[in-house]
Amino acid sequence: MVKILSKGYTVLLLIHLLFLFSFIVEAKRPEYQLALKNHLFYPAQIIIPANKKVKLVIYNHDNSVEEFDSFDLNREKVIFPLQKSIIFIGPLPVGEYHFFGEYHPNSARGKVVVVEIKRNQAVSPHLLNPKQGELHVN
Amino acid sequence: MKALMLFKQPCWFILASLSLLFSCTATVYADGVVVDKVYHPYVLPNEREVEWRLFSYKESKNNKLAQRFAYGQSLTDTVMLELYLVGERDINDDFSLTSYELEARWMLTEQGEYWADWGLLFEIEKEQKQKNWEVTSGVIVEKEFGRTSLTFNAFIIYEWGNTIVSEFETEFRLQYRYRYLEQLQPAIELYSGENYLGIGPAFMGIQRFAKQKQLKWEVGFITGVDSRSKGHVLRVAIEYEF
Repeated sequence: MVKILSKGYTVLLLIHLLFLFSFIVEAKRPEYQLALKNHLFYPAQIIIPANKKVKLVIYNHDNSVEEFDSFDLNREKVIFPLQKSIIFIGPLPVGEYHFFGEYHPNSARGKVVVVEIKRNQAVSPHLLNPKQGELHVN
Repeated sequence: MKALMLFKQPCWFILASLSLLFSCTATVYADGVVVDKVYHPYVLPNEREVEWRLFSYKESKNNKLAQRFAYGQSLTDTVMLELYLVGERDINDDFSLTSYELEARWMLTEQGEYWADWGLLFEIEKEQKQKNWEVTSGVIVEKEFGRTSLTFNAFIIYEWGNTIVSEFETEFRLQYRYRYLEQLQPAIELYSGENYLGIGPAFMGIQRFAKQKQLKWEVGFITGVDSRSKGHVLRVAIEYEF
């Protein structure tokens, strides 16, 4: 019994250390804003850097609940009416990752485009942050 | 810092988890089969589900059968409560309700925010006839490596009652899943506990319907891999979320 407990506690201690290890503060994550209006995502395309974790803040301006869903990004998140939700995505390799709103899958659609951005490379803010409603994904 | 980089590689994390799992197999004592579902640490608000699980355990000629029926509902954005009714087929081939169980799953961290995602699980089970009790508490960890996900469950169980010896047990479950398609995600699962060590393939998937409605399915075939763990376990789980 004591043997089981002592070994059990060793495992618990290891899990505890792993838990603490999880919270090691990483560098500040780039933040991207997304809005949901009339069951459409604005912008419908977000460009983010490769191999970097980013924070996506989604504001739901509609009076109904929506669920952000993406198998490509492996994320599901409920966004309550007139509230915001935060989703952490990445680090991801270069590619396109589609997402949609589960309650309005035909209109609420978008994609995250992951691009390689070399150090010191000037990136047009227009490219990284297209105007609201400029792009829509069908 | 190099150690941190090392742990970002899936193979090192898997090896570390497996070595932890194998080192713990000596600590457990037997009462039954430990193959069950590998839990994920995520909870969604407004989530309701019904679930059916089947376990068929074949050891030489005999075949044991257990089924679980559950209803679950999220209470808050991060806590999900589930009530189970467990039925088993006895030696006379009669199927009856054997126990009931209350389970709470608590999502501790936001998915993707930290190095790994964490959750806790608490469970209380009462056997219907023998008046035996079992209390479980455990940790659920999931780490994403590109298109694959590694999930680890570690449970400490205390059981007592009229027909069993009061004791602590430990159980460990590991799943390495490839998110190939939404409807088809192959995985390897490993279970350890109660003098049992089993490994085998599993397949799972999700079929989405309108709004939050979706059907999740899982099938696994686990084989005992050491001298104490005989036979095969077929596990099936179907979950409808609405």
